[in-house]
Amino acid sequence: MIEDEVALCETIVSYLEEEGYRCEHAGTVELGNEKVNLYEYDCMLVDIGLPDGNGLSLIKELKSCHPETGIIIISAKNSMDDKISGLDMGADDYLTKPFHLPELNSRIKSLLRRRKFDGKQELVIDKITILPESKQVLVGGEPLQLTRKEFDLLMFFVSNRGRMLTKESIAEHLWGDFADAADSFDFVYSHIKNLRRKLAEKAATDYFRNVYGTGYIFIE
Amino acid sequence: MKLQTKINIRFLAVTFLVFSVAGVLFYFALGRVVDQNIREMLKSRKAYIDLNLQQNQPFVDSSESPDHTIFIKRIYSSNKYRQFSDTLAYDEEEKELVPFRKLTFSVKSGDRYYEVILLQSLLESEDLQKIIFYFMTGLFLLVLSVLFFVNRWLSVKAWNPFFKSLSVLSLWKVGENKAINFDRTGISEFDQLNRTLEEMMRKIQSDFVNLKEFTENASHEIQTPLAIIKSKLELVLQDKTLNDQQNQRIHAAFESAIRLSKLNEALLLLSKIENQQFVEKAEIDFCQLIQSRVEYLEELFALKRIEVVVALNELAIFTINPLLAEILINNLLSNTLRHNVENGKVFISSGNQEITISNTGKLADIEASRLFQRFAKQTTSSESNGLGLAIAFEICKTNHLELNYSFSNGMHHFSIKPKS
Repeated sequence: MIEDEVALCETIVSYLEEEGYRCEHAGTVELGNEKVNLYEYDCMLVDIGLPDGNGLSLIKELKSCHPETGIIIISAKNSMDDKISGLDMGADDYLTKPFHLPELNSRIKSLLRRRKFDGKQELVIDKITILPESKQVLVGGEPLQLTRKEFDLLMFFVSNRGRMLTKESIAEHLWGDFADAADSFDFVYSHIKNLRRKLAEKAATDYFRNVYGTGYIFIE
Repeated sequence: MKLQTKINIRFLAVTFLVFSVAGVLFYFALGRVVDQNIREMLKSRKAYIDLNLQQNQPFVDSSESPDHTIFIKRIYSSNKYRQFSDTLAYDEEEKELVPFRKLTFSVKSGDRYYEVILLQSLLESEDLQKIIFYFMTGLFLLVLSVLFFVNRWLSVKAWNPFFKSLSVLSLWKVGENKAINFDRTGISEFDQLNRTLEEMMRKIQSDFVNLKEFTENASHEIQTPLAIIKSKLELVLQDKTLNDQQNQRIHAAFESAIRLSKLNEALLLLSKIENQQFVEKAEIDFCQLIQSRVEYLEELFALKRIEVVVALNELAIFTINPLLAEILINNLLSNTLRHNVENGKVFISSGNQEITISNTGKLADIEASRLFQRFAKQTTSSESNGLGLAIAFEICKTNHLELNYSFSNGMHHFSIKPKS
């Protein structure tokens, strides 16, 4: 994790460590370069604006010594140029500040799945089996029909199993910039209701827990 | 009314008044002088006749001069008198009655008394008076028109620096960082005015820049602490030992932090647009852009049972920064969604190089000038930060597009077209 804001870095690291990742961080391009050259990482999060330079140079460096490492760029909003040049250099994903921690977590998971397992990994959660590549869901071996949004929602929850997902982070995951367009929390509610019902019909288990007024938790 | 017109009208009025009064006085004075002259003339003729009659007694009792201007008649009273009067007499040459001045007096010649009547035609002096009057009137008109043009020329010349300053002022815009330059006029009052203006404009300029920089820096600096607050709260929310009440309180703080962060982002974006920091421009197919955004939003429209009709029959391609184009359309579409009613309608059409996005809404006609102002919230909806349309407006302004609003048939219409 290359990020110069210590407090923000700590929060991200603490969230990710709870997921079982081992995290290291650097606050400058120089330190980042050192680490990139010394160790091999599964994933690198890079902030573009760093005190001693542009994070894009780190991407170039990393691509030359460890091309298999996944890269997620973190940058200020509305800087299209950074986004394009970063992705051109071989970054895998792009996240604009400020982001929700579950969103980052789900992006890292999806990136690692693609990188490490070629996307062919099966996710098995209790009776639910998810095939991320073909966007299929099996419950007890039987296929479950989900809409695209419902599938996204399920993946988001599964990536953040046992975590409390706020209504805001769910809305933003589903609709991005339009998250606050109109009554989107009602929409979040109705989507979750549908997903919950569909899963419960097949699996006879309610995986969702409602945290009153705040959000939802997906429990195995 | 223009300054010069006003000066000219006043000038003409005053001059006209002075000349008319002077003309009338002159006319009467001239009359007096001519009258005086005629009396003097009659008197001198009288003196001559007096002298002649006193020396030579006439042979006849009554006689008349050939030109009918002197009449002598013997009288039988010895009263001495002399009297001026006006009369009309037939003039041979003019063949009409003409005015005469008449002097009647008595003369003693030897032992006899005679009455003498002298006539002097007033025709010539009246003609003279007329000629002088016409001449003076002509002269007056000539002087007046010459004065008028000279005055106009002078005032144009004298006020020229003022009009130059005025045009510099009217072309000046606070946001533009152009050098302020007034020419030296050589007229101390105008130079002083220009110096004062220059000082004021510099001050306004620097205040404006300072304020803008401050807003920008403040927004920028607020961003990071806000992101930290948000993520820390998010982390706290993961704590499973929290009870519902604690959870809700933290969530409320989290919500507000998100709102603040979004607001701040919008303000930053606005100042970036105003500062023209989005330089790169491309030809953007708005129809395609709108189509893709509408598809993305389909679900949100459907959940609110809003009917969306897209009739983009004509291509609309505008030159604009790609990111700003997307923000513009996002904001306008969000707007149709946010302020719409359940079972409402959205109609998007194109034609004549113009794109119109129309929607039904909770409110009736809104004042257009207020609509595009910052924080001009029509509702107290907490989801809206009141900057969406201000941003859309600013994007259009800086990309040579026009964003117009109108209300008809119960629908709000927002249209985008290139600035003419």
